[in-house]
Amino acid sequence: MSSRTLPETETPFRIEVSDDKIELLKKKLALTTFPDELEDAGRDYGVPLADIQRLVSHWKDGYDWRKYEKELNEELPQFKRDIDVDGFGTLGIHYVHKKSEIVGAIPLLFVHGWPGSFLEVRKILPLLTQTAKDHPSFHVVTFSLPGYGFSDAPKKKGFAISQYAEVGNKLMISLGYNEYVTQGGDWGYAITQRIAKLYGGKHSKAWHSNFEVAAPGQAPPRLFTSPWLYLNNLITPLKPADKAALERTAWFAKQGRGYSEEQSTQPQTLGYSLADSPVGLLAWIYEKLVNWSDDYPWNDDEVLTWISIYWFSSAGPTASVRIYYERKNTDAASNSATDSTRKAPIPRGVSRFPKELMIFPRLWTRTPDLVFEADHESGGHFAAYEKPVELVGDLRKMFGKGGPAFGVVKGNDGYQANAKL
Amino acid sequence: MEAPFRIAVPDSSISLLKQKLALTTLPDELDDAGWQYGAPLADVRRLVARWQDGYDWRKSEAQLNSELPQFTRDIKVDGHGVLNVHYIHQRSTVVDAIPLLFVHGWPGSFIEVQKILPLLVEASPEHPSFHVVAFSLPGYGFSEAPRKQGFELTQFAEVGNKLMIALGYNQYVTQGGDWGHLITRRIAQLYGHKHSKAWHSNFPTGNPPHPIHRPLLLLSHLLFKYTPKEDEGLKRTMWYRDQGSGYFAEQASYPQTLGYGLADSPVGLLAWIYEKLVLWTDNYRWDDDEVLTWVSIYWFSRAGPAASLRIYYEVNKAYPDLANKPEPTTIPTGYSFFPKELISLPRRWLQVPNLVFQSEHDSGGHFAAHEKPKELVEDLRKMFGRAGPAFAVVPGKVGYA
Repeated sequence: MSSRTLPETETPFRIEVSDDKIELLKKKLALTTFPDELEDAGRDYGVPLADIQRLVSHWKDGYDWRKYEKELNEELPQFKRDIDVDGFGTLGIHYVHKKSEIVGAIPLLFVHGWPGSFLEVRKILPLLTQTAKDHPSFHVVTFSLPGYGFSDAPKKKGFAISQYAEVGNKLMISLGYNEYVTQGGDWGYAITQRIAKLYGGKHSKAWHSNFEVAAPGQAPPRLFTSPWLYLNNLITPLKPADKAALERTAWFAKQGRGYSEEQSTQPQTLGYSLADSPVGLLAWIYEKLVNWSDDYPWNDDEVLTWISIYWFSSAGPTASVRIYYERKNTDAASNSATDSTRKAPIPRGVSRFPKELMIFPRLWTRTPDLVFEADHESGGHFAAYEKPVELVGDLRKMFGKGGPAFGVVKGNDGYQANAKL
Repeated sequence: MEAPFRIAVPDSSISLLKQKLALTTLPDELDDAGWQYGAPLADVRRLVARWQDGYDWRKSEAQLNSELPQFTRDIKVDGHGVLNVHYIHQRSTVVDAIPLLFVHGWPGSFIEVQKILPLLVEASPEHPSFHVVAFSLPGYGFSEAPRKQGFELTQFAEVGNKLMIALGYNQYVTQGGDWGHLITRRIAQLYGHKHSKAWHSNFPTGNPPHPIHRPLLLLSHLLFKYTPKEDEGLKRTMWYRDQGSGYFAEQASYPQTLGYGLADSPVGLLAWIYEKLVLWTDNYRWDDDEVLTWVSIYWFSRAGPAASLRIYYEVNKAYPDLANKPEPTTIPTGYSFFPKELISLPRRWLQVPNLVFQSEHDSGGHFAAHEKPKELVEDLRKMFGRAGPAFAVVPGKVGYA
């Protein structure tokens, strides 16, 4: 089969935020107006004031963006490439691409979500590309979703999950990876799921996620209205771990989705404060970094780098939240249109971390395509960042010799001896 | 002790606002987005430019001060200490006018009494008149904000009731919409008969806005069984639930997180409120300066805009079952129905004991007192007038010249 020949518009990319942008950020930070806070509020009402004041103060006077910009440029080989998206024109896509020394390494596309970014690949990258006799190696690609990081944002309405999937697939093919596997969580889950659906078999050969949602038809409609009750009745008796997982899922369904309700209905309205207010953006994202991870010991510089990527993004932070709107309003219509050919699904793997946001009973999610599952004792939503060793360990098990998805990409099984000619 | 109050925002606050506005960073926008994704960029850009250069807060401030007789008073709230409460108080020239407490909501303020005030206090042999009290809810306008957790409907009701009694109105009637509906209903539940003698609402619903509890499925099933007006109302309600409740879900769960952006960013606050001013009204022709005055009241508020959000959290926490178990009231109730209200339910769902007055309108939305002052006051005059069902509910206070 022929791979697409796209115009040779690949250019190496270095993050180089202008001095003007940094100066404006500092000016705004200097004028920060903080809200009040109730006595003993803790984290119940949202991010504590003391945390935000400390972070703002540091962002203004101490945090060194240039230092971390340099680090990212050195650690992550970045590029930019034009990808044509049907109906949306050409978008400049920022991506990280690192090849293993093993020629026959498994091409892997890693897809991030919100409020994540390409940054989430940084810890797993060296582990995935590492060469060894006893585990497979990967060629790794990750892109900034359109509207995130240093990719262009779509200009037209209706850029939904299929479009993100199209970008991912076209990127891999343009890099010479006609067949590949994927890893994703958060939106990365939905997008790689769509890749599996649209391009599975032909291009995507297997997919792994650290996030799963019970398939439509399996999830009970009452889950989000009376989550605890419903789940409680469904699964008895419960081990302590199961009970905690259900509590977590109930918390998220009942209290944790406010950001998503706003982002999926009035993203532009929210976007004005995210674009204009560094502290507004900081709080909006930082709350998730803390609430969604499993006691990950965030240090202030780490947090500020995550948020700075949004603040300094090519399209600005507002563009990043539109995916929620498009998923809710556009995607429902386009979803079923891709179901016309019932082909066999590609193999799927899942890694479950206890502080993920939604954890469903196994029987709902153990669909026939599931060939690999792993459970962990700790870790949350940002698995690649919180638990890189464990996540890569799972991928090595799934794709390695003896694993259920070994050799899915012909000629690229991840080991030295099977080098592609 | 009551103290006369004049709004007097410090120069430094105005200066800081202008400094921030000068640094405004606007987002991008999708082609042909219109109102689909939220407040349109062109509108917001225009409003920011006006706010920065052209809009005169001092002029609005002076106008509010001259039109609205304002005061502050300390009110002790059980378990919450003393809060200094800002309010408007205007007596009619008719000595036995009916004492009326007007309670606003979010993103409203005391300003919502501005148009109805002269009509309510107006003396006439043809219709009743009222002594009017309208307070800034704690955390809004120029009232102090609660410092402790748990300040919910009961506490807001306590403030309203104590204020009326402190002003010598041992018995009174109430009018409210949005949170004002829930607060005046709480007043009716807690102080009905003894103090509150009747309550009127332009936001009639047994169930408060609660996106997580409302069964969308049920509504769409029932969509086909009602009058055209009720069908329209249900469509509007479903729109609100499905597309218009994001703000509610966030404010009810993590108001502090949202509050950082609203407290720090004038354009952020402007967009957050302006979107409601347009979507919740019925083709009301907002003047830019009018919008900016509404928003400035939040921006310059005593407690800052973040405090105003907490009522959503507190009520959601205190009444997880509010949607399913509305408590009835036993004092006379009146409802005014405006077609673009956010929650507009079939009338027979709203029948409650002692519903003595109902009035249908052909236009008007959520901010009835601001959009339809004449119509709203007309309803109150009908409800409380000589021929009305709630005539003389406050003994000795009939309000005719």
